[in-house]
Amino acid sequence: MKWLVMGLAIVVIAPTIAIEDAAAQNVARDLIRRECSTCHGANGISGSPTFPNLAGQQAPYLEVQLKAFRDRSRADPHAQAFMWGMAAQLTDATIADIAAYFAAQPPAKGIPADPAEVAAGKKIFEEGIPAQNVAPCQSCHLQNAEGNAVFPRLAGQHRGYLERQLEVFATGLRANPIMHENAKNLTALQISQVAAFLSSR
Amino acid sequence: MRARIGRIVTITWPLAFAIAIGLAATAMLRLSSANATPGFARQTGLSCQACHTVFPELTSFGRRFKMNAYVFSNVRQLEPTTERGEKTLSLSDLPPISVQLQGSNTWLGKAIPDANPTLTSLSDESTTEFPQALSLFYTGKIADYLGSFLQLTWIQTNNAVGIDNSELRFANHGMFESIGVRDFIYGLSVNNNPTVQDVWNSTPAWGYPFITTNVGVPPVAAPILVGQLSQESAGLSGYLFLSNHLYVEGGGYWSAQTHFTNATTGGPGPLDSTAPLMRISGTAPYWRVAWEEAWGYHSLSVGTYGIVAPTHPTGVGNSGPLNTFTDIAGDAQYQYVSDDHLVSVYGTWINEHRHFNNRNLVDHEDNWLNSGSLTASYFFRRKYGGYVEAFSQTGTTDHTLYASGTQVLGSANGKPNVQGYRFELNFLPWLNTKLGVQYTVYTRFNGRANNYDGFSRDAHNNNIVFLYVWTAF
Repeated sequence: MKWLVMGLAIVVIAPTIAIEDAAAQNVARDLIRRECSTCHGANGISGSPTFPNLAGQQAPYLEVQLKAFRDRSRADPHAQAFMWGMAAQLTDATIADIAAYFAAQPPAKGIPADPAEVAAGKKIFEEGIPAQNVAPCQSCHLQNAEGNAVFPRLAGQHRGYLERQLEVFATGLRANPIMHENAKNLTALQISQVAAFLSSR
Repeated sequence: MRARIGRIVTITWPLAFAIAIGLAATAMLRLSSANATPGFARQTGLSCQACHTVFPELTSFGRRFKMNAYVFSNVRQLEPTTERGEKTLSLSDLPPISVQLQGSNTWLGKAIPDANPTLTSLSDESTTEFPQALSLFYTGKIADYLGSFLQLTWIQTNNAVGIDNSELRFANHGMFESIGVRDFIYGLSVNNNPTVQDVWNSTPAWGYPFITTNVGVPPVAAPILVGQLSQESAGLSGYLFLSNHLYVEGGGYWSAQTHFTNATTGGPGPLDSTAPLMRISGTAPYWRVAWEEAWGYHSLSVGTYGIVAPTHPTGVGNSGPLNTFTDIAGDAQYQYVSDDHLVSVYGTWINEHRHFNNRNLVDHEDNWLNSGSLTASYFFRRKYGGYVEAFSQTGTTDHTLYASGTQVLGSANGKPNVQGYRFELNFLPWLNTKLGVQYTVYTRFNGRANNYDGFSRDAHNNNIVFLYVWTAF
């Protein structure tokens, strides 16, 4: 008898969960289709450097950022203007689904840049600048700049977006103690060079 | 003796401007938070700059917000569901209401002669209007996939409240993966002004000048698409925006029924055929096609639009010969939108052919009217900037149609030609408040530069200096 009850329970509950899961996934897919894709592209590759590429981004990083937009702890000017409103009503489950979707998209291809700039940027990325107390970026973002968990993929990101993020890390407008320490000692030229390198990967 | 060290405060021109206008708004300058902004901002939680370069001009994101029927929302919703899980309502907790206020002073080049009673609504040498217009908006989501832009306006010039540019819109996204279209937006618009539903600023309803005087001298003619059907017609159109590039729209416009009798007086009612309205006979088909390209911070769009409007002549009734206005127009728009520098260029050219079956009003059965404008604007950090426009209109000579012999409003040589420039300087102390000084100069008006009406009025007498404050909250 109990096997029958167990069997019935499984037969009833499992599809309900599956449907709920599917429904929840549909909320995320719906949002991506109607909202996120407008600026970030349907496949996570955006046209304008104002809006970062999300394709192939680390899912844990995306989740942290969406939560930071939702609770307003990430407060750089574009975050305020665009993303606070976008994230205000998101649930944790939807955030996880959105992050999973974009993480699964094929990452953007690099865009070639001036070889001298790229070479200088590569040096900063791989070796850091010990004289300026700047750690090698690859120590957290990994050798191919693909990122790792909460450390984001940088390879293939818009150059303009990377430059702006390094600037707001440096000034503290985007709160992040580790990145603040690293970015504040970079000159504008070095920011430009490392962004050129990363956007070309 | 100790030197006194004081701080010298420089009253800059923009600051003096703001004080002089006497805007009795907030005393404290605060960074605008998402809570203190008009209807769309309240609904979405987005700051104005997400959708606008400098209002009302739209950014690429703003165009898509509008194409999606204004539904994007981040306020809590009232969303009851049935046992089957169907949502039966999606009503925002917070209604997207806002108010718009315009105040102005208009200086006309030369005062209108007092003697003429038909000109009382036009400006004397200087006319102050506060408010020039006061509007109430409901703009935003009504339900999932359904949104509206509704505007009710009181205008000082005629002391009347009326429906202004309004639109009800349904829209959704779809996908045609099998033919490589990853994403498309489709929708329907019901509206009361051809091109009010358009998302570019190179078409008449939302084109430059976005605000101007109500009390200037109007040129003797304008194409039907330039405001002649606004709030006097109703239109329905369907549109498709494919793969973020191709926009295609088609539909029609209709006029309200006439011969409506006032039940109380028995006399002509508000929709009587003798009212001075441009009334469409049957359906006026409308189309709009545009292609948009975007790269980096730039966007470029090129398009065409038009209407074929058979109309009843004013004051004649529902029967009788029709006059048909056919507009074929082209437009283009370029934008560079970054945080520091915003550059826009938009232009349009309308070619109108008029065929008059009713010959009472005209010398010739067929005539042409060609009208165009090109505007360039620059803003620094959405705070300081301005616009420059060049406009031109030419057309067939017709002494009857163009009111030869009428003082100020007519054309002595029967030509509707107008040519001129407009220069505007703006200061925006906040994203939702625009202060401006606009100078319109006519090098040709109603056919001539000098003595255009036969009563010694020159084109430059109609030049206007227009000082204004425009705010929405």
